[in-house]
Amino acid sequence: MLLAAGLVALAGCGSPAGKPAAEAAKAGGEARRGGRLVAALGSEPRTFNPVTAVDAASLGVIQAMTANLVHIDRQDQEARPALAESWKVDDGGRRYTLVLRPGLRFSDGHPATADDVVFSFQVYLDEKVQSPQRDLLIVGGQPIQVRKVDDRTVEFRLAAPYGVAERLFDGFAILPRHLLAQAYQAGTLASAWGIDTPPAKLAGLGPFRLRERRAGERLVLERNPFYWKRDAAGAPLPYLDELVFLTVPNADAQALRFQAGELDVADRLSAESFDRLSRDAARRGLRLVDAGPGLDLNFLFFNQNDLAGRPLPALRRRQEWFRQTAFRQAVSAAIDRDALVRVVYRGRATPLNSHETPGSHWLDKALPPPRQAPEEARRLLRGAGFSWDAAGALRDRAGEPVGFTLLVVAGNAERGPMATLIQEDLRKLGMDVRIAALELQAVLDRLFTSYDYDACVLGLDGGDADPNPSMSILLSDGSHHFWRLTHGPLAPWETEVDHLLKAQLAERDPAQRRRLYDRVQEIVMEQRPLIALVTPKVLVGARAALGNLRPAVLDDHLLWNVEELYWRRQR
Amino acid sequence: MRYAAARLGYGFLLLAGVSILSFLLADLSPGDAAAEMRLNPRISPGAVAALRVRYGLDRPLPVRYVRWLRSVASGELGWSVAYGAPVGPLLWRRAGNTLVLAVTAMALAWLVAVPAGVWAAARQGSWVDRLGLAASAVLLAVSELVLALLGLAVAARTGLLPAGGMASLDYDALGGWERARDLAAHLALPAVVLALSAFPVVLRHVRAAVAEALESPFVQAARGHGIPRRRLLWRHALPAAAKPLVSLLGLSIAGLLSGSVLVEVVLSWPGLGPLLLQAILARDLHVVVGAILLSSVFLVLGNLVADLLLYWVDPRVRGA
Repeated sequence: MLLAAGLVALAGCGSPAGKPAAEAAKAGGEARRGGRLVAALGSEPRTFNPVTAVDAASLGVIQAMTANLVHIDRQDQEARPALAESWKVDDGGRRYTLVLRPGLRFSDGHPATADDVVFSFQVYLDEKVQSPQRDLLIVGGQPIQVRKVDDRTVEFRLAAPYGVAERLFDGFAILPRHLLAQAYQAGTLASAWGIDTPPAKLAGLGPFRLRERRAGERLVLERNPFYWKRDAAGAPLPYLDELVFLTVPNADAQALRFQAGELDVADRLSAESFDRLSRDAARRGLRLVDAGPGLDLNFLFFNQNDLAGRPLPALRRRQEWFRQTAFRQAVSAAIDRDALVRVVYRGRATPLNSHETPGSHWLDKALPPPRQAPEEARRLLRGAGFSWDAAGALRDRAGEPVGFTLLVVAGNAERGPMATLIQEDLRKLGMDVRIAALELQAVLDRLFTSYDYDACVLGLDGGDADPNPSMSILLSDGSHHFWRLTHGPLAPWETEVDHLLKAQLAERDPAQRRRLYDRVQEIVMEQRPLIALVTPKVLVGARAALGNLRPAVLDDHLLWNVEELYWRRQR
Repeated sequence: MRYAAARLGYGFLLLAGVSILSFLLADLSPGDAAAEMRLNPRISPGAVAALRVRYGLDRPLPVRYVRWLRSVASGELGWSVAYGAPVGPLLWRRAGNTLVLAVTAMALAWLVAVPAGVWAAARQGSWVDRLGLAASAVLLAVSELVLALLGLAVAARTGLLPAGGMASLDYDALGGWERARDLAAHLALPAVVLALSAFPVVLRHVRAAVAEALESPFVQAARGHGIPRRRLLWRHALPAAAKPLVSLLGLSIAGLLSGSVLVEVVLSWPGLGPLLLQAILARDLHVVVGAILLSSVFLVLGNLVADLLLYWVDPRVRGA
């Protein structure tokens, strides 16, 4: 963590220290200026509005056009100054005072001041605007209060100390009050800055601004001449003249167009495409990077919802198994995660024993690596009163054969095969597992509305650098506590997890916060309410001539430092 | 004139029926445009519920339908939840792009298939005829998705054609003639793929219809009178065979907007296909209904054109 208390004055230059900065100083910024970078989006962005955007395509484009007060370096996951050049924390972590850089200007040339910051947070916090990010600004049950101190200083007051600290400010793009105040007052801000908005009506503090949009086909962004960030040699950023986003809906087509030279970067490559492209990468002038385990989580869970009043008697009967810790532990021990890695991801994934992946700085390194232990699984089941008949089928204490249906989203190239391998592992344990592949919306309906399912293999994409945004999964009353959204009394371990999560949320000592969260991971690994399976590695590619490329496991893997990217030879 | 008016009336009834059915069927399937957000731990259920209220997804079906009708009457054609924008403008531009592709492909397929079909009918049983039939059987069996992926792989590896999209990045800097060449280069792959999948159907219809006409007594009689073979084929047999072909042409026009969805997705053609696919997956109902309705308009148009053509080529319809 960068800061405990007191003033943290950081260098005025935003370029992270280390290799890129040294490189920049050596070559000089001017030599790197120019050129165009072409990237792909899986779908057309749906909006330019940072307040309401939720889809990956919109967020990717908005990131290039906007800036936050504090920015998390996607590679080392540390907080760095962005629009705020410094900040101080006092009142026991309840008051943050941020000082903006001098001379900030939006991409239309209009000055950016503390008024814009206050306006932005007013918008994010307004219940009527319904920003999906609003909940992140509720601390200690109260909305954060924002106040302008002077033109360059803003004060944030929190109802309680917040463990996330200044990282909170990453993810809230500062909005231009002069362009959006009218829509806000008219109550139409949520639908402002739609995809058809003319470029002149958009402005941000990011490295690029919109120049042209061809519906369904592409967006052309140009350098923002008023961008605030400079490289280590003092040359203005970004280096690139243009950033182009092409809409390429099909993942295989993205890989092929990258190979053909029509795209300069390729994100989220499948293991198959990655291996194929790697074969002649040098000849084609491509650089393929395996950035290591990512933050995507694939997991299995059993339905433990309280089904009182629902006409699902057979499921209620099966829940007697699902609620036994030994049963869940046995299922976890029976799964050959190495096979999932080998077969589903051609070796380019990492087996998991915790819901935190090795890509996260929050993984409890003391947890043992996962290993398949069929004998251990049998011992656990035997201990819980299960037995095997002559045919090898598992039966519970009452003599009922053990079998259930595994729900999976149809058409998913990864989770489908994963379910089949798990089915085979559990068959060896005498369990009769059937697979139900349903369309995503039907799966969501069962998970969140009807609760009519036994078990589910699910994936959550793009985790966060901090555990807090995902707390709704682990908290017993969390909105994403998939396995038990409705429940009666809690088990002691569930109460302990709730307590630990809330304690770490308010803990300002990073070491202590880590200890609290490590304990959460130990309990979850012991109780297995969710059985973590595997996380794929982040596989990306770029032209070898692209300088300063620093692929990260956090989204956006390739373009998070787009302002620093440059072409080694002028193209 | 009355004939055309009656047909148009049918068309409107059809469109109303299609819109009601689309709403009903969408209502029966689980989930709505806000459901997918439910899976994102960073979005609270409150925000999802608020979105439902904002777009009226929580209202009963008849209320939603009437709202949508009003929006259609105002030219908006509904409201997209995903884009937070009216559906009409989203559709028009893409429908235009789809038409450019589909009309080119249809023209290609018909221009090649009609002469090839007539030629094959005149040489029934010859090795060329059999080869043509075998080739068209193979094309019928291979889905256009496979053809598109094949084309994409070839384009990416050889670099002979652009591997997707509709225009080069420097399109705006090009002159008029160069722009046309650029569009043609981008059109080539998707249009050929689409034409290849339409070609065998047209070929087989033309061949069968002309073969049947060649057997008919009046053609036999004409042959007896010593009318040259070419004239016999093109001036007598083909017009006599036109009736089933006109119906087929009507069907082709009806499928102009909806036939290229898969090819557009694979080859990143900025038409209705990618938009429709996204909208279906995201349950963006008004976009889906809008696209279905546009396709239905083409169905009506296609049938109308076919009926009018039939009226023109077939004296029996006029007499009826």
